[in-house]
Amino acid sequence: MKANLFGKKILFYIAIIIVWQVIDSADIWPDNIFPSPIEVGEDLIYGISDGSLFYGIGTSMWRLILGLAIAIGGGMILGIFMARVETVNQTIGSLVLGLQSIPSVAWVPLAILWFGLTDAGIIFVTAIGAIFAVTINVYTGVKNIDPSYIEAARNMGAKGSQLITTVLIPAAFPYMITGFKQGWAFAWRGVIGAELLFSFLGLGFLLNVGRQLNDVSQVIAMMLVIMGIGILIDGFVFKRIEDKVMSRWGLR
Amino acid sequence: MGKLEAKNVEKFFQHDGKPLKTLGGVNLTVNDGEFVCIVGPSGCGKSTFLRILAGLEKPDGGEIMLDGKKVNDTGPERIMVFQEGALFPWLTVRDNVEYGLKISGIPEKERNEISNRYLDMMQLTQFANSYTYQLSTGMKQRVAIARALVMDPDVLLMDEPFAALDSQTRDLLLVEMQLIWKKTQKTIIFVTHNVPEAAVLGSRVAVFSARPSIVKKIIDVDYKRPRVAEDENLGVYEKEILSSLRHQGPK
Repeated sequence: MKANLFGKKILFYIAIIIVWQVIDSADIWPDNIFPSPIEVGEDLIYGISDGSLFYGIGTSMWRLILGLAIAIGGGMILGIFMARVETVNQTIGSLVLGLQSIPSVAWVPLAILWFGLTDAGIIFVTAIGAIFAVTINVYTGVKNIDPSYIEAARNMGAKGSQLITTVLIPAAFPYMITGFKQGWAFAWRGVIGAELLFSFLGLGFLLNVGRQLNDVSQVIAMMLVIMGIGILIDGFVFKRIEDKVMSRWGLR
Repeated sequence: MGKLEAKNVEKFFQHDGKPLKTLGGVNLTVNDGEFVCIVGPSGCGKSTFLRILAGLEKPDGGEIMLDGKKVNDTGPERIMVFQEGALFPWLTVRDNVEYGLKISGIPEKERNEISNRYLDMMQLTQFANSYTYQLSTGMKQRVAIARALVMDPDVLLMDEPFAALDSQTRDLLLVEMQLIWKKTQKTIIFVTHNVPEAAVLGSRVAVFSARPSIVKKIIDVDYKRPRVAEDENLGVYEKEILSSLRHQGPK
């Protein structure tokens, strides 16, 4: 079954590349607008051989990780407070919903004014783009905890921070994972978007360089890398944590 | 010690925007080491009363005294066993049982010794490393009882803990519950809607009236232990409980 599914996927992607090559061979558009898969591949290999691709990935990744860590930490604190303290929910809660509707790239001008063209600015955009998605999911998770868990824990003497670390967080964890996953997706969009506009290293920057040099194959190559990293992190990091949590919590 | 007194306990609930009196001044004294069952019509607030005894809810009137001292909050001397067990699915059976000990800062080695004793008592040793989703409902309730017992409370408050069990498992646990009671000498207050269950377990059975409820009658079940549900001699007590349940005033 599993091998079968994998085979299907491989065939699908091979088919896409073949169709792509056929369209290219038909010479409908010039090569500087519609490159062949081979040209894109060459571009990737060039990026790998001179190391610029790895440097770009590395730069984007550490910004992502730092930004996401801030978003997860902050989102958890905010979400738990919103769920447990009614006043916080009534005040900050509505603001969070509003802020959540701002696309991360819309924070870029503010980030540039506040932090200049620095790593801190890009990390700010990454974190702020992700934090509210994390917050909302953590809030929902904590709100949906079976109240008898909290009562049982209180009854056995758990209070304050003990209650948070031993019951609220683990009990809400299945929701939190969803929040982290959404947060990561927003953070990834945020970091690439910010790098594009900041034009300061990273994959987004390389994408923009491709545009500036009128190098379509580099643009497409970078898009493929961005997508590839997305698939890897979704499939290997989050899918695995999610599966484990769901089965452990008896939800599957 | 574990003498628990409820004095004139009142509780209101909001119903369609109007306060609805659920507990209409409940008086009940449970002596140290006594096994008391509470039965009553559904919606009479017997579970609410138990939650007030546990400190999980505040009464709107009256007071709860434990060994002569007023109680306002939850406390490790009054531990509740919940209807659905309320076990933590993210912990193993052992970690669930040790939860309260861990919270109170008891070191791991000591925790393990205590939990081993109760895991053994509840015949859970071989499941110590299982997660709760791997257990049957009956097993889960055993874990819930073990988790409460490790706290060594003076009073064990049980809220229809066997309601979701099949009758075989329930019969088994009814006998075990009596043995546990004998062994640990705890004060036990056990809420149930199942009359035979009350007759088997309770040394006394308090019958609640319909809302606003009070303790309408207390029936002494003076019969040798361990009792089993199919013992016909318990029928007299069951009838007595049933008839006082039936003679409810108008709602």
